[in-house]
Amino acid sequence: MTALLRAEFKKITSTRLWWGLLLGALAFSAIQSVANAVVAGMDPGGGQGTMPGLETAEAVRSVYPLAMFSGTYIFALVLGITGMTGEYRYQTITSTFLVSPHRSRVVVAKILAHAVMGVVYAVVGLLVVLAAGGTTMAIRGYGLGLDADRLWTTMGLAVLAVAIWTVLGIGIGTLIRSQIAAIVIAILITFLIEPLLTFALAAADMDWLVKWLPANASSALMAPGDVMLDYLEWWAGGVVLLAYGLVLAGLGVVLSVRRDVS
Amino acid sequence: MLREGRQVDIVGLTKMFGALKAVDDLTFSVKPGVVTGFLGPNGSGKTTTLRCLLGLLRPTAGTATIGGVPYAHLDDPIGTVGASLEASSFHPGRSARAHLEVMALGAGIDTARAPQMLAQVGLSEVADKRVGGFSLGMRQRLALASALLGDPEVLVLDEPANGLDPAGIAWLRQFLRALAGEGRTVLVSSHVLSEVQQTVDEVVVLSRGRLVRQGRLADLDSGPREVLVRTPEPEKLRDVLAGRDLTVVGADDSGRLRVTGGSTQDVGHAAFEGGVELHELVAEASRLEQAFLELTEGGGA
Repeated sequence: MTALLRAEFKKITSTRLWWGLLLGALAFSAIQSVANAVVAGMDPGGGQGTMPGLETAEAVRSVYPLAMFSGTYIFALVLGITGMTGEYRYQTITSTFLVSPHRSRVVVAKILAHAVMGVVYAVVGLLVVLAAGGTTMAIRGYGLGLDADRLWTTMGLAVLAVAIWTVLGIGIGTLIRSQIAAIVIAILITFLIEPLLTFALAAADMDWLVKWLPANASSALMAPGDVMLDYLEWWAGGVVLLAYGLVLAGLGVVLSVRRDVS
Repeated sequence: MLREGRQVDIVGLTKMFGALKAVDDLTFSVKPGVVTGFLGPNGSGKTTTLRCLLGLLRPTAGTATIGGVPYAHLDDPIGTVGASLEASSFHPGRSARAHLEVMALGAGIDTARAPQMLAQVGLSEVADKRVGGFSLGMRQRLALASALLGDPEVLVLDEPANGLDPAGIAWLRQFLRALAGEGRTVLVSSHVLSEVQQTVDEVVVLSRGRLVRQGRLADLDSGPREVLVRTPEPEKLRDVLAGRDLTVVGADDSGRLRVTGGSTQDVGHAAFEGGVELHELVAEASRLEQAFLELTEGGGA
């Protein structure tokens, strides 16, 4: 298993994709972080009242871990998807399975290696939001707020959430082997279908279902109590998100083992 | 040093894709120490058979084993069987060296073997270049390097001559002969007989998923050879040859006389002694290609 893990890391780091995705994630995280720090304490209008100011723990968490997560998770998802679909797109799956005919071990190694890459993305992302968001807060005359309530716990959970989204990507990539289709479908679900579904279900008084959707489970994991919807407990959000990841990845293992490689 | 070698055995192999029978009750063996050509037109089931042998496809019926063991149960897969299936199976953004290193890491082989293999196939200069910019011939060499990475007893190469220029084919021929000479088992598929004609000792010929011939290559080439002669004095030559048990049996499309009963030396000597002017004197091209086409007749390309 160690050998297969090393091979998977080499696969990821020997092409340039992971760099590009990491840079994208860092840029989005930094922008989100600065934006969250700028709008904190402002009144967006429309009678919703002012947003929590930078003196609150809630605002500080949105500048650091939540900004990192919302800037990174989609890139982590794409890294996971391409980690699997790239093997089929370029037919490298043939040499992968020749090296290790134990296909389930290959997929498990792939899942672990990509989860670790998710952690790397998230940790580097946290460093970037600490710099970008921290600078913005300082410019606005606030401290860095590093002692804010639940800040470090939330950071840890945000790292975990990004890692799980990477595993979700592997699962999706095994189910949909066309790289383009997998990425388009995953992004459509995340950015369009899930928010629409959330909205529609909430409108239909079916909030009990809403909280089980993956994005909402992520939010529950990282931001309990910060939001208006009725979310799961943070740990339950984590369990649900992990379950999505493992079910998809498990399907991935089963399908890879049975499928003909031609 | 001669190796132990392992025999490849295909027994009663059948593979269906839906209603299509790609391989039909195929049985043959591949011996160590010789180069075996796996021949047949495109679509005759060669690649499907090789993919079943390598555990990539699940046979509908029958078995395919290496030294009696199915690929999936080998202790050291790429140290036992080296395979190259398609010259396109590389990530275009990965360097040649990194491709081999990924395989070496996964198999627990020292990554120092990667540059050694690249040197062996003549790719050292482009080791760190991305494969996306490689020509088909370079990809074939990289595929061969991948197959050799584990120093395997058995080599399975699908259309390795495809995309190689004549110099590349000559190089491949020497290379494969040397590998077989070390006692390895070498199985090489091709849809063009002439590509491997001078490389292989044994042939397995496939048509429409069925075995049509297994044996020595030489046995395919049956029947007497003819000698082709061009001369401005055909009648005179006919008479001269007749006195020496050489018979003109006709003429080919370009007007050359077809002579049986002797070699080019015999015909040339007779013409010289009889004072007949010759403009061309050659042995008929091998009948192998003809025999191959007849065997696989109607099977495609």
